[in-house]
Amino acid sequence: MSFQPDRAIDDPAFNAETLARSKSDAAGSSHDNTSRLEKFFAECGGLLRAPQRALALTSVVLTSAIRSFADRRHLYSFATTRRDSTTVLNLTIRWTLDAQRADGGVPAYFSLLTGYSESYPEVTGYIVPTLYDFAVAFSDRRAAMAAHRATCWLISLQMPSGAFPGGLLRSNAHASIFNTGQILHGLIRAYEETGDADILSAAIAAGDWLARMQCGNGSWSGPEAYQSKPHTYYSMVSWALAELANVARTSRLREAAERNLNWTLSHFQPGGWIDGIDLAGHPNYLHFIAYVLQGTLECAILCHRNDGVEAVTKSAWVLLRKFEANKNLCGAYERDFKNGQRFTCLTGNAQMSCIWLRLFEVTGDLRYFNVALKMNEMLKRLIPGRGGQGVAGGVSGSYPIWGAYQPLRYISWGCKFLADALLLERRLKNSFAAHPREAWQCAS
Amino acid sequence: MRIVVLSSSLYSETACATASHLAGLGCIPPGALSLGTLDLTMLRRKLAQWGPHQFTSYARMKLWPQNRSEAPTIHNPHLERYLRRDGRIFRNLKEVGRFYGFPVATCADQNSSTSLAQLRRWSPDLIIFAGGNILRKPLLQLPRRGVINMHLGLLPQIRGMNSPEWSLLTRVPPGITIHYIDAGIDTGAILKKYEYPDAMRCQTLTELRQRLVAFAIEKLGEVVGELDREAVLPTPQIDNNSGRGPDRQFFVMHDWLRGRAKECLANNRDDRQNPE
Repeated sequence: MSFQPDRAIDDPAFNAETLARSKSDAAGSSHDNTSRLEKFFAECGGLLRAPQRALALTSVVLTSAIRSFADRRHLYSFATTRRDSTTVLNLTIRWTLDAQRADGGVPAYFSLLTGYSESYPEVTGYIVPTLYDFAVAFSDRRAAMAAHRATCWLISLQMPSGAFPGGLLRSNAHASIFNTGQILHGLIRAYEETGDADILSAAIAAGDWLARMQCGNGSWSGPEAYQSKPHTYYSMVSWALAELANVARTSRLREAAERNLNWTLSHFQPGGWIDGIDLAGHPNYLHFIAYVLQGTLECAILCHRNDGVEAVTKSAWVLLRKFEANKNLCGAYERDFKNGQRFTCLTGNAQMSCIWLRLFEVTGDLRYFNVALKMNEMLKRLIPGRGGQGVAGGVSGSYPIWGAYQPLRYISWGCKFLADALLLERRLKNSFAAHPREAWQCAS
Repeated sequence: MRIVVLSSSLYSETACATASHLAGLGCIPPGALSLGTLDLTMLRRKLAQWGPHQFTSYARMKLWPQNRSEAPTIHNPHLERYLRRDGRIFRNLKEVGRFYGFPVATCADQNSSTSLAQLRRWSPDLIIFAGGNILRKPLLQLPRRGVINMHLGLLPQIRGMNSPEWSLLTRVPPGITIHYIDAGIDTGAILKKYEYPDAMRCQTLTELRQRLVAFAIEKLGEVVGELDREAVLPTPQIDNNSGRGPDRQFFVMHDWLRGRAKECLANNRDDRQNPE
């Protein structure tokens, strides 16, 4: 079983620790190894403190092992399930609502070894739009109230500069570019739903801080960026800025968003690969590849930039072909989508489903809709319908659950992206029913 | 012209009808090469493709007809004119071979060295692909005049899987293409393509597919005749796609979209019946 320190941005222990590490010249591989061991023992210690979790752990690992052994893949087949999308959507939203703390924060994950983590501002922020989408689609007051509580909690964390802290809720947290951008998604949506001027002010303060911190070439680096380096997956930040520019009608934020879009697009390769994910010490998890694509696509749509949509289309098509041929996407890829790692990163798969569905909306090409429906089928099968709190309705980091990305954890951002994919699927299916002729006419 | 037929199964009605039609036109194949029925890889593939229920019912129907005294049934009724000869119905490729006097060999992989050796012994001018493996270069280069395929869609617009259904959804007229096979998927040079005139008469997607198969076999006979007379020239495919996606390959269709394709067929039929 692998306990790699996959401390990508979504890992709560990630930002503060890695920031400190990147600042320290003394931090070498021996420090990394010690840190891995510490983490391993901390996780195992969690199980010793709560031995009742051993039952759930055994059950989940066995289920995952049996399923991955029995899975058959063939060119003419794809994974199917009798579970309908609404049932799974309700399960994932319930997982999120049950996980939310009294103060409004949402934990990063439920570990089969250590239980729930502390609240995680970044994920809490970008779960807000998902909760509102669900609330609107199903007239669900509980989800709307949860989104409101999350927003209030986030605003209470905002720093005087307008930035938001990275990592888990802690006193010594540093300002983080990426996490501020992700939280901005939630603030914008909360303002749109409530019309609350305080929320808009908080969002503009965050947006202004992001614009101030931007480098001349459109990227973000420096101590507030992960590993103090620029990354192309910060396209998620430019998407948030473009959204805010539309809501607040400010050209300077839109210019900042476009500057980053241009910088990100300069990293797209002719074969569809994107350079500049640049996470030293980590593989290019599908989660981050999908972040680049999703942020670029949405930012390009908001900025009416066809070149951005076309660049994303090329990459998304490469991944579509891989999924259609192999019936899954690898958990991580090397340059040019080569040497894919054998585990599946479920969050990345759900994000790809969102990207394909949006590409169907933008291009009218039904093949994107088709592949997203098949991807959603595959994901729906892997969501536990039963199990204790933290398990039922959860989206595991990897499949099998011991895969390299967030092993033995059900992660809140996985639930968020799967819920997004299923909500988008629902909306597009409804639009087919409402306007069947138009939908067919625009196809391909 | 020496024409060999490749088949995915001894029980493939499409392959039986193709061989029977060609033989009926005077082109008795020097042989037919089929994937074995009890090959483990093939059985697993079919099981994954159809699911356990459909797989067992199909196997039962083929191997143990419910009432042995009754004549075997034809799965695709539109192939009856090719499968019924002298009052009997061909149940498998071996029966077609026995009737017309050509050998039928089975293999686990059509690209294997033993399959290639068998094909070399038959010395084909042309191979008709009526199902089987994805063909590799050594096999494609073996017949003097290439390997041809009957594709149930108009090329280059609709390449790949579920072509009739994709044709309906993307508003490309249903039809068939007779084309050479090359290293790509349905990318080889086109010999002839035909729109299917009766598509809107079909009640179901299955019926459309079955009619297209019969239509393709009928047209294959014409094309083979023209090839023999050297009256047809292959046209390379030019993918004049509109820029919405890098190519025109389509993949297995999700059931929900198949449902929409079915509605599309019904709507088109209604439009035809009530033009205003």
